[in-house]
Amino acid sequence: MIDFQIGDELELVRNTALNYADDHLRPALRENESARTPGRAAEEAFAEIGFATLEWPELDAESGLGAVARYLVLEELAAADPGAALALDPLGPALYPLMELGGPDAVRDFGEPLLSSMGSRGLLIWNGAGAPRCLERKGNSWSGVVPWVPADRADLVVVLDEEGASVVQQGIELERLRGSGLRTAGASELTLHSAPIAAEWSGADGARRALARARLYVAALLVGVMRESSDYSRRYAMDRVAFGKPIAHHQALAFLIADMAIAVDSARILGLEAAWRLDTGRPGEEASATAFLEAAEQATFVTPNGVQILGGHGFMQDHPVEKFMREGRTLGLFFGGVDGAREDAARGMKAFPEEPLLPLGAA
Amino acid sequence: MDLAIDEGTLERLKGIRALGASQIRPLGIEADRLGRPTPPEHPFFEGLVRAGQGRTRWRGEGSGTQSEERAGSIGSSRSTLCLAEEMSYWDRGVAVSFPGPGLGEPPLISMGTEDQKRRFLGPFVHPDRARWGSFAMTEPGAGSDVAGIRASARKEGNTWILNGAKSFAANASRSDWIVVWATVDSSLGREGHRAFVVEKGTPGLGDFQVERKMGLKAYESTSFSLVDCRVPAENLIGGEEHYARRAGFKGAMRSFNATRPLVAVMAVGIGRAALDAGVEFAEKSDLLGDIRIRDRLERTRRKLRSARLLCWRAAWLADHGRPNILEASMAKAAAPTAALEAASLGMEILGVVGGRGDHLIEKLYRDVKAMDIVEGTGQVQRLIMARQLVQLPRD
Repeated sequence: MIDFQIGDELELVRNTALNYADDHLRPALRENESARTPGRAAEEAFAEIGFATLEWPELDAESGLGAVARYLVLEELAAADPGAALALDPLGPALYPLMELGGPDAVRDFGEPLLSSMGSRGLLIWNGAGAPRCLERKGNSWSGVVPWVPADRADLVVVLDEEGASVVQQGIELERLRGSGLRTAGASELTLHSAPIAAEWSGADGARRALARARLYVAALLVGVMRESSDYSRRYAMDRVAFGKPIAHHQALAFLIADMAIAVDSARILGLEAAWRLDTGRPGEEASATAFLEAAEQATFVTPNGVQILGGHGFMQDHPVEKFMREGRTLGLFFGGVDGAREDAARGMKAFPEEPLLPLGAA
Repeated sequence: MDLAIDEGTLERLKGIRALGASQIRPLGIEADRLGRPTPPEHPFFEGLVRAGQGRTRWRGEGSGTQSEERAGSIGSSRSTLCLAEEMSYWDRGVAVSFPGPGLGEPPLISMGTEDQKRRFLGPFVHPDRARWGSFAMTEPGAGSDVAGIRASARKEGNTWILNGAKSFAANASRSDWIVVWATVDSSLGREGHRAFVVEKGTPGLGDFQVERKMGLKAYESTSFSLVDCRVPAENLIGGEEHYARRAGFKGAMRSFNATRPLVAVMAVGIGRAALDAGVEFAEKSDLLGDIRIRDRLERTRRKLRSARLLCWRAAWLADHGRPNILEASMAKAAAPTAALEAASLGMEILGVVGGRGDHLIEKLYRDVKAMDIVEGTGQVQRLIMARQLVQLPRD
């Protein structure tokens, strides 16, 4: 029966992520953004906790916690710095095509080497519908230019489309960009020069599942960012006095703050539902596309209003809300963006007069 | 975490679905067309009572607590939410017209003496016929701001004398009794409130007027007046001791709320009905491939889906006696607007067909608006949320 209790084990995981973010990310947000890295100490602490392998199949005792655990961790990390969340996770969403299409062997062969070298990055490039296809396949290699990846280094590139996935490890060139959001992860233009394919797998079902997990990964980051934008601006509004009272007590802002809280929780709860579906073996493609869409849309409502509530101060880089606004926007651009997600969220849209409570996909 | 609906609830949902398609929706459409509530003598109500509906949750003498029920699935707020959503999917107006003690039941169960439960809920344990109870708080001059009620209660010997006017009480004119809220001193706000059971036929209770509404026509929203209406002291719910005790907790608010998520999820049910009808019409008209239409349907479905989850979360907290004021108001703020959006989009999909006034979606568009008004308007929900989020002062 409907139960939102996440349980002791997941509470522990979430608290560990929260404490990690407090200790290693929040104190140096701006420094890390300029340095384009969360730094060696943060990387080592992250590796020690074992967050990177949270979902890895059959690797160690910590593995196999699943999508809900990953969601909770990413939300907490992103509530501090989503760029750091990406930089710290060596494989990031590139794990999912390996996991869904290649299986445990692929995760071991391509994933494990990244764990042993600090700062390694695997990147997932979506080369399917919803965005211009940047990469072109010629024989056994990929060529083309991806205008932006949130990384300054790429040890591995996984190319995913509707048909399957392939891995390249050579012929990768990165040219540094300033970047908009997520600068702690770095920012580069990625070029593949006839990059030889090291391994490939085909399968439309696996590709859909991999994309679903990748979207949910981004949705969790979006929820973390907007949650923090909402909380930070709410606290500010309680302190800042204008026209004789805290600005939060002027109804125009009180209602806006309430609406921002609704927006965060709406996105968050759809993400948790999608994660629960993936963890319980239910179809999750439509649910994760839905969660991604809601998160991307709500983030573009919440994070600019986070700046708005702080007024002129919000526009200055002394407060993090402008950073959240850049990140709330750029995260929603991944993997075909909202229009790509709409395709999958609306797939199979039909009426369900014969099924109780089903039309919203809760079965 | 588990977001699956248990088997027992699913079974009951299937029952509602069968009844919904065969009787509830047709009855709602009929009432809408005729512009009157379903009359109390309608055989539909008799059939419901024979099928075991219209009963009280009170389990009879000496029980009165719901704690064992709460532990299981049936009887939990979450299960109730699922059933209420499905009922509203078929017709929310008909759902409110169902026989039973109605909204008068919760105050009797939570505040009433054993004698009052026996006298007023007893007849609903195994009802011999369709019986209704009612609840009257709202007044012409006091809606969401319940502290502002003016109906007065004055004690004379062993009798209370009630005077005032009440509005929009569901099923009031057909009810065996009405739980009437009145104040002993309007300067005291909520502290001065008292709840009385006013029985049918009590002299001074009268002037029943079934209001004309935009939608939800299948149940009666009734206004009435109390003119020197003499109510015996034993009909003061909980007795005077109850209010003396409560005064000690001045300012203490209940930390959880189970009705806001319930009303909110009813909006989800109406919205779902509109969405289904909209998708069906789009399919028939070959519009589902139109990306503009498809994307708006997707958005509507998504908003209803998150609203439902917000309702479930608030109910889950209430089931565990955990604070849920913020979550309950959030659900109540979010769901009705999502549902209105569904009905409004449905009208657009119908095109000028929506202007004819004879399509289900057009009815739902009128029905659903009430959901953003009853049980605290969307604006009141935001005020409540702001008290929690930013300590917004009450005045």
